[in-house]
Order: sequence, then structure tokens, then C-alpha cells
Amino acid sequence: MAVAVPSSPEPLTLEPRLEPPLASLLGAGNLLPSLVDALGSPLNVLLPEQIAENAARFRAAYRTHRLGGRVYFAHKANRSSALLRRLAATDAAVDVASLGELQHALGAGFTPDRIMATGPKDRAFLWLAARTGVTVNADSAGELDELAALVRAHHLARIPVLVRLSAFDGPGARVLTRPSRFGTPAAALDGLLTTLERHADALELTGVGYHLDTTSTEEKARALEGCIRALDACRSRGLRPRVVDIGGGFGVNYLAHGAEWERYTSELTAAVLGRRPPLTWRGHGYGLRNDGGTLRGALALYPAHRPVAGAGYLDALLALPAPSFGGRPLATLLLENLYDLCTEPGRALVDQCGAVLARVLEVRRTDSGEPLVRLAMKADDAGLEEHGVLVDPVLIGRDGVRAAPGDGPAAGVYLAGSLCLEADLITRRMVSLPRLPRPGDLLAFANTAGYCMDFQTSRAQRQPVARTVAAWQEEGSWHWCLDEQYWPITRPGGEP
Amino acid sequence: MRYDSITEAIGNTPLVRIDPAVHGLRHIDLYAKLELLNPFGSVKDRAAWNMARPGLPAAVAHGSQVVELSSGNTAKALAVIAGMHGLPFKSVTNRMRIPEIKDLLLLLGADIEELPGQSECLDPSNTEDPLTLFHRELSGPGSNYLHTDQYFNPRNTEAHTAGTGPEIVKDLDGCAPDWFIACVGTAGSSTGVARVLREHDPRVRVVGLVAAKSDFIPGIRTWDEVHEVGLFDPATYDTVEAVSSDEAIEGMLALARRCGILAGPTGGAAYHGTVRHLRDIDAELTARQESGEEVIRQSAVFIVCDRIESYLSYTKRRRPDLFRQPPRKNTLADLTESEIAAAPAVGTPEARQWIERDRPLVVDLRSPFAYAALHIEGAINIVDELFDELVRGGLPFSTRQPVLLVCPVGEQSARYAALLTRMGHPDVRSLSGGVIAWRDAGAPLVRD
Repeated sequence: MAVAVPSSPEPLTLEPRLEPPLASLLGAGNLLPSLVDALGSPLNVLLPEQIAENAARFRAAYRTHRLGGRVYFAHKANRSSALLRRLAATDAAVDVASLGELQHALGAGFTPDRIMATGPKDRAFLWLAARTGVTVNADSAGELDELAALVRAHHLARIPVLVRLSAFDGPGARVLTRPSRFGTPAAALDGLLTTLERHADALELTGVGYHLDTTSTEEKARALEGCIRALDACRSRGLRPRVVDIGGGFGVNYLAHGAEWERYTSELTAAVLGRRPPLTWRGHGYGLRNDGGTLRGALALYPAHRPVAGAGYLDALLALPAPSFGGRPLATLLLENLYDLCTEPGRALVDQCGAVLARVLEVRRTDSGEPLVRLAMKADDAGLEEHGVLVDPVLIGRDGVRAAPGDGPAAGVYLAGSLCLEADLITRRMVSLPRLPRPGDLLAFANTAGYCMDFQTSRAQRQPVARTVAAWQEEGSWHWCLDEQYWPITRPGGEP
Repeated sequence: MRYDSITEAIGNTPLVRIDPAVHGLRHIDLYAKLELLNPFGSVKDRAAWNMARPGLPAAVAHGSQVVELSSGNTAKALAVIAGMHGLPFKSVTNRMRIPEIKDLLLLLGADIEELPGQSECLDPSNTEDPLTLFHRELSGPGSNYLHTDQYFNPRNTEAHTAGTGPEIVKDLDGCAPDWFIACVGTAGSSTGVARVLREHDPRVRVVGLVAAKSDFIPGIRTWDEVHEVGLFDPATYDTVEAVSSDEAIEGMLALARRCGILAGPTGGAAYHGTVRHLRDIDAELTARQESGEEVIRQSAVFIVCDRIESYLSYTKRRRPDLFRQPPRKNTLADLTESEIAAAPAVGTPEARQWIERDRPLVVDLRSPFAYAALHIEGAINIVDELFDELVRGGLPFSTRQPVLLVCPVGEQSARYAALLTRMGHPDVRSLSGGVIAWRDAGAPLVRD
């Protein structure tokens, strides 16, 4: 019987993928320990230059396919002002999903033609959107009615609107898609267009869009085809739409090595089936379970190693053949129908844009012998576990030196937060560190700027919320300021 | 041989010896069990028929839909069997990765449902994977399904304990082979056959073949996926080894080109995995013989699961070198950058005047759908791929007829203008910046 995987005495590493700027920050000597000393643990550090670089990569993918249109940063991925202000200095745009985000975007320097309001909207959010003239991505006919009424009642200018569609059908095999709470079924387009025609004095349809929660390019290809068909229906009724909004979901590659990810998931399967010692806190299966020797359930983890992600994923999607249009590439389909492309990357635009730092408070073994490291943070300060992203943190010594393999015997540890709560585990996976941490060391959760930094953070137990700083390199050294004090023209020492 | 129903032709497939000159093993006879000769084309015909048969009378009485989780041969066989009994068939699948099989299933009248891809934004509170939803629908109130359940149904294995296994023993003159090698898909054939062979002779050694983790070979599961199969019991196999898609295609070529066995990549993987596993053993036997020991000949059997024809695009994507294309005439690829740069081009204002004055033929190279939506008045539509075919045969219009070529941004039209110029057309021009520049200049576009 050769199937059983031999148990590995070494903890299984999942090394984070670090591009040079983030790697340089984590190796910047005394900078990070002194920042945490001064500003407390946990601490968020952001790299505003990186978001500009990421936006340029998306722009390059547009150029490859000769497509026009805007890249909208899905603001919800991170609350930072520095990231938004830096992005405002590029040609990118922003997608806001709340009144607060809209105010923030306007204040960061985005003009209304570079802002799109999406998601569920209350009256105040719609009002400010209409008043300033940003594009409204409408969820339903009811929202269009409400918006039109606002425009008329207050004698506002005509508002550009996009409508979000869902539940696309296509020829051949039926492709099932997770049902969404958002958008209007493509089959109900006629009613929606009737609504738009009724409001022609107040609303101007500029395009249609979708946002699918899936990693599958085939499903997205089908939705894009559905949008092209819907836009043609708009044109046949005399409307003049010109954009297709394909939403976000371009993904991030979190890991440096695909082989580590493959080995980890295989071993996790073996652990769930009882063929090796557990890799997780109390044998947690991340959605997998053992049903009499057969594996059941589905792995509820983010696919942390994604060789094609971000702008590369967009490029691949645009090159995909459109099955119901004779296999022409989707980009060609957009181009020859004279449509611009809108994208709303969130996680992908803040890839490599920052890290969460936390101080090690205690290192001990539990009664059952599990090595446990307690950190000066709560699990909700770095939502890796919440988002199913498995990746090792980077260990930085009290002296600022990043621990490297060979510094000591490699250590597999569980990470606990500082809440007085059994569930406050920062990771239920045993993470791998080059050596056992010591109190006073720092752990850096790298590449957490997308949804895994401040999305879910709370003030539970009156514990502090992380402060956020922006850091950048100039003349070979690192500089920083508080997030709210950063502007793209900020110089070292605060000189303009 | 005369049969009343095509289903009677399932099974009793030949066991064919592979020429030692091909496999190179000196002390081991290698036999291929030709499951590709089943009437619907694969080893799955046996399991599909055996699983569906008991439920068919009731399904016919209630007009039930036959359903299975399959993206390949089981679906194909069940689609035929369901059709023969006037029943609808639905195949639910993660992803149909073989386009030919997908089209074939649609042709056979099957309904295909593809499950959604992995969620991009994880919702940890959502424990309902698509498969759980599928099973819930099957067992829901008022459901009317005949679910054959190939990954868990013991009648899948039974089709091979009653058929495939005993046939092999009979064809080897009542002996079990020393080796049995099978790819693990549903594990039905390997488990069933192994059981029969071991009962006959417990010394039979069984090798299971799986795909490497990130690889894809049709009909074979990967290291991790085998654990999701209810029929998979690790104790069935003395060893489990991985094969790659490259090896599967190499094996497929050896069987097709040198043995006259038109096997698909699954059969190719079985052949390649078999020879690879036995090569060392054969070398050891040779060494023992050379040292004077008496060596008894051994035998090995592997299963050829299905046929080659459905996997042309699979193979083409991985091995384009195997599909030699004849050199083409008049293609864009022959053009030099300087020829393209020198192609005659006109901007929008100039083009409008030219159209007014000389009435050139305006050829819109975009797709019919895009053309129908909006185009330059009077333009005719010849979509680029069709135009490409046309010019291969020569100039598609008179040299006395001026031509304006139009594409989205003026790149493709410049290439074709260069090509047509090279082919001798005196007045062909490309619309600079394409129809997008035309629109942006405020020039009129019409919709018929």
C-alpha cells in the first residue's frame, strides 16, 4: 500500500510571494520595530507606490487588447487614504460602495467622472452621487426610480447610469452560477429598459455590467457575451450605451511556490483522512471531512497559489473565445462593437501593497503540547483566516533582522490573538517559521492590504484598532507618515 | 453474431498481445484489454448499463430523468441508454474539459449542467459546495430521478467482477496475469478486475495509475481526487503511481502508430505507466537469467479505456507539433513590418470625401453581430476569418474596384491592405484608427 503519505516531521511552509518593494520593507532593519514601538501593535503599513504600479499593469492589459475604458479600484478592499490619494494621481478611477467611501474618494481628489457608485445604496448615498454627478451602477429598477425622483426633485443634471445584470444564459451546455443577491436577471432587461426610457430626462444609460463571484473564466466569458447581447438590445431601442463593466475578481497570487501549495493541500487531505498527524488546530479540515475513509465536502480555502492572477487574469479572460459569437476573442468582441471596458479590481489592485505587523507577547505550549504564540492583535485585525488565505507570516527579530531558514530549528506554531475568547485564533493552520519566535519579536502578515487588513477589524474588549502608516522609498531609504497625512506630493520630513 | 439490442454487444472485448518489439520487455508478455471496442466506445458502457438496468423499468413508468456526475464516457453511455428507453438524461459536471465530448453529448440529446467555479470571495458561513446542493436536489421532495451514482454505486464495480475480470482470466487460459495495471477514475474497473484476479491468484500485483496533481488526463483522477471516490480503496492497489499528460500522449501515439490500437489518452497513460513500471522488473529478470537462473515468463494486462477520436483538441493543445499544417499562401504572417507600415491608409475626413467621390467598396471586417449593430452606410460585411480564407484563393474583387477596409482600430485593416497591395490590387486603403476613430470623429454610423 503506497498511497499513505509519510508523515512529515517538518512544519509545511507556505512562503509568501513578495515583490521587491514589500520584501525591501520587511528587511528594512530597525524601521518596523521602531514603528511598532511608537504606534503600537497591531500596525498596518501600506505602500502607496505599489497601487500605482498595479494600476499601470491593468492599463497595460487594456493596451494589449487595444481597449479603452477605466480601471475602477474597488475601495472596499482597503480603507486607506494614502492608497486612494496615490491612485487619484494616476489615470485610474474608483468604485465606491457607501456614502463614506464616496466622500472619501471625492476628498482624495477623484473628480466625479472617475467615480462609480455601486452596491446597496441608501438615500443619502444616492443624493451625494446624484449631486456630484458620479456614475451610478444601479442594482434594480427600483433604484433607478429612486434616483430619477431625486434628480427631478432637486433639478439636478442628468446622471450617467450603468445597470448591473445577473443570471445570464447562453447556448450549449448550461453553466450554473452561484445565485447572487445583486443585479437584475438578464432575462428581465426589457422591463429595465422601459424604466430607463421613462427616466430619459434624468438618467443616461452608459452601459451594463456584471460582477460574478467566481474564479472561473468560462462563467465570466458567458456573462460578458450576455452583456454584449444586452447592449445590442439597448441600441435597438435607440439608447447609446458604450461600456461593459465586468466587475472584479481577478485574484491575487499569495504564495511564492506552487509546489508548496500543492504539497500542503495534499497533506491536508491526508490529515483529514487520518493518514498523517493533523496540520491544523484540533484537526480543523477547512471544509473537508472524513466520511468512512472517503473524503467529503469541499476545500473552503482561497486558491493561494494562482499563477494567473490580477492583470494577467484580465489578459487571459479577454483572450478567451466567445462561444456564442463564433469563437472570436472577447476583447475583439468588445472592440468591434465599439464598447469600452470597465473593470473593478479590489484585491488585485492592492496586491503587494502592505502588511499587518504584530508584536509577539508569549510563546508557550498548550496542555496538549501544541506550540502556541500569542500576539498583540485580534484575529479580525488580519482577516487571513476569515478569507481562507493560508500563508506564513514573516518573522522579524527585536533587532529588526528578518529571520531566515537556518537561524534555528524550524518551528511550527499556532497563532492566537489577545481576545479572551477560544475562537480568537489568527490562524487555525500550523504556520511555519524559520525559528521559534521570542516575546518582543514581530510577525508581519505580508500582502494583506486586500480585505485582510481593516475590513473586519473591531474594537472588541476596548482593544486598540491598528494605526495605519504609508511608507515609500526615496533616495535609497524608507520614509513614512501616518496614512491620513499622506499626499502624493508628501516629501520626507513633511516638506511639500 | 446477431443481437436483439445493442446493449448485448457490451463486454466480451478482445485481449490483444502487444508486440514485444514495441514495448521492449523481454520476459513479460503485455496484453491490452480493448474496452474501446464496446459499442458506445468505452469501458464505461459496462458500468453504465449495469448501474442503469435495474432502475430502468421504474424510470420508464415514472418518466424519470437519468442523472450522473460525469464529464465523459459514463455520460456518453448513459445518454445513449436513456435515449433508447425514451428517458431524458442530464450530466452534471465540474467542467467539461473535452470539447468533442461536450458536443457529442449535446448531439446525443443530453442536458449538461456545469457547476460554478470556485468562489473568489470566500464566504466561510457557506458550507454548501455545489455537490452538496446537487445531492440535496436529487433527494428532495417530488424529485424524479434515476441517479446512477458511479462513484459510490457497487454495481459499477460489479460490472467488472462479473464481466471484465472473468473475461481476462478466460482469455489467459484460466490463469490470472502476474500484473494488472489500471488507471483510477471511478475505481470501478480496477477494483472489480483486481478482486476477480486476486481470488484466482492472490499473487497478482495491482498497479493503480493517477494523474499528477496539477495535470489533467481525461478519465483519470489526481492524487487528491481519488480520495473523493467512494469506490476507491487504497488496499486494492499494491502501488499507486502518477503519470503525466505528456506520457499519456506518448503512450497513445505508441498504441495508435505502432500497434494499430486507436486508444485515447487514458489508454495511452495505462500503456505508458505499465511499461514504465515493468521495465525495471524486466531488467532484473534479465540479470537473473544472465546469472544462470531459470526465469519464468510473466504476463501483464492493462485496460484500454476508450478511443482516440474525441481527444484531437486535447492533443492539439498539448502537442501542436503532431498536427503538421501545410504552408499557406497569401497570409498575414508573410507580411513584413515595413509592408504593413507602408499600407495605404486614410483618416476619417479623407475617407468620407473618398466615399462621396469614388464610391469605393467599403468592407467591414468585424463580426456580423458588431456589423449589424452599427456600421458605415453602404459597407458590406466580410468577417476577418472569412476574408482570410477568401484572399488565400486570390483577390476577391476586381483590381478596377477601389476598396476601403474597416476594422475596429485600423490595425487589421492595415495588414489586409498591405496583403492585397502585395497581391496586386492598385487601390486598397485602410481606415486609420478604424471604426472607433470614425465614431470618435462624429462620423455617422447606421443600424439597419
